[in-house]
Amino acid sequence: MSTEKIKDARRMVHWPGHMETDYIYTLGIAGEKFFTEMKNSGRIFAAKCKRCGFIYLPPRIYCERCFEKLTEWINVGTKGEVFTYTVAYVDVDSSKLKEPTIYAYIKFDGAHGGLIHKLGEVKHEDVQIGMPVEAVFKPLAERKANINDIKYFKPV
Amino acid sequence: MTDVAIVGVGCTGFKSVSPEVSYKELMFEAATRAYQDAGNINPRKDIDAFISVAEDYWEGFSIFDEFVPDQLGAVLRQLFTVSGDSIIGLGNAHMLIKTGHFDVVAVESHGKPSDILTLYDIVSFAMDPVFNRPLGGHPFYLAGLEMNRFLFETGNTKEDCAMVAVKNRDNALRNPYAAYGARIDLNDVFCSSPHFYPLNKFDISQPADGGIVIVLASDEVASDLNDCPIWIRGVGWASETPSLESRCFGEAVYAQLSAEMAYKEAKITSPSREIDFAEVDDLFSYKELQHMEAMRLCEVGEAGRLIAEGVTGIDGDLPINTSGGNLGMGWALEASGMQRLLEVVIQLRGDAGERQLADVEVGLAQSWRGIPTATGGTAVLSNC
Repeated sequence: MSTEKIKDARRMVHWPGHMETDYIYTLGIAGEKFFTEMKNSGRIFAAKCKRCGFIYLPPRIYCERCFEKLTEWINVGTKGEVFTYTVAYVDVDSSKLKEPTIYAYIKFDGAHGGLIHKLGEVKHEDVQIGMPVEAVFKPLAERKANINDIKYFKPV
Repeated sequence: MTDVAIVGVGCTGFKSVSPEVSYKELMFEAATRAYQDAGNINPRKDIDAFISVAEDYWEGFSIFDEFVPDQLGAVLRQLFTVSGDSIIGLGNAHMLIKTGHFDVVAVESHGKPSDILTLYDIVSFAMDPVFNRPLGGHPFYLAGLEMNRFLFETGNTKEDCAMVAVKNRDNALRNPYAAYGARIDLNDVFCSSPHFYPLNKFDISQPADGGIVIVLASDEVASDLNDCPIWIRGVGWASETPSLESRCFGEAVYAQLSAEMAYKEAKITSPSREIDFAEVDDLFSYKELQHMEAMRLCEVGEAGRLIAEGVTGIDGDLPINTSGGNLGMGWALEASGMQRLLEVVIQLRGDAGERQLADVEVGLAQSWRGIPTATGGTAVLSNC
């Protein structure tokens, strides 16, 4: 009789599985607009619903509230405020991060939504809900039309 | 209209690992126990339909529903899979019986996260691939974002949340099905490593393997199958927007909407007075408080005071998570919500042993689909 419990399932006879799933995720009409404007001109666009007035950031081509088609793009600038934040000390493989990452949900002035991103140029103990921040973009040549064209948001 | 009762429950118990059984054997054990509990029915002829609650990626299959029938006794029978949450599975079974076409329906859910070598990568794959996933990191940072806003808006504190972890781990010591029973104190929670501020390690449920099957029956046959049928008085479910950037973060809107749907069916107008006890999702400690407030079990901003005063303790006026919750029983993927339902049935039957509550007639079970979702279910049950 064993006196020790098996804690690692890999010690049992097993078949190692690997699920390969390579994708491309096409951005669609609203995503193309958002990411190409961000890449080419450092501008952030939202979409406004003509019926209810709700302004979607990130933009979409439909309103989730009244199911209206959205056709009006609004430049919402690059500034917002920290609606909530967290400091991550642990990586996706559960190992400890060398440097903690500050994530925030940034609500934009002039839009009902915002962006989830990282904060930079700030110590985590100095971050506060309500703190005004602005997007810091990568240099034009390094932008690739994805969300990481914004390096992070920094306090204004 | 037909009333629906739970007439059988079967549970394997939950453990941090289960290397001795395959996922199919885990489900077979839970099903065998449930069918025995439901008057020893034979699933090959006595069960009219089967529902499994599962998610392909958790299971490592592209078509997991195809791999469900044999271990449940459902080959050549009516079966479908609900990808979502156990209480949504319960809602589907409830509706099947209410159509009048089915008398007995089984619902299965399980989790075997110890088979998943990259658990949190799979959670990451549930996030928006374009706006969120490229930021990288452990996806539970979303819970940190939500907890911070919830505390900010409601005035509940990190200490209140830590009390949830202490209470539920302690309750789990009295539950033989629970994987993570422990006697810890507030200091242990505060000294556990910071993971996603304001969440510490002990504020976060740990993965556990296990399975639960329940058997439901119409009022025409329920009493023949079990001496103590537990009646489903109302079921609800709801999804908030999938877009993280459109959510309100501080409130659990899905819990509010799913509870109101269940209350309407159960004709409950004042839940804090009419419900005797509740099992509430607590995958993260703050979730117990947030869900209580969303479901009107207390006022907004009041949940922290209730736990501090012992109201939600096992001897309090409104016991919450006598089972130990997810913090005490373990995060069992799709079976997490079914754990909540199982405890409500056990308590209403009077079978909860040393954690049994006195004189309980109406209980509530609530589930959340977990990070990064905003989907959940609520069920109101009674023993009379």
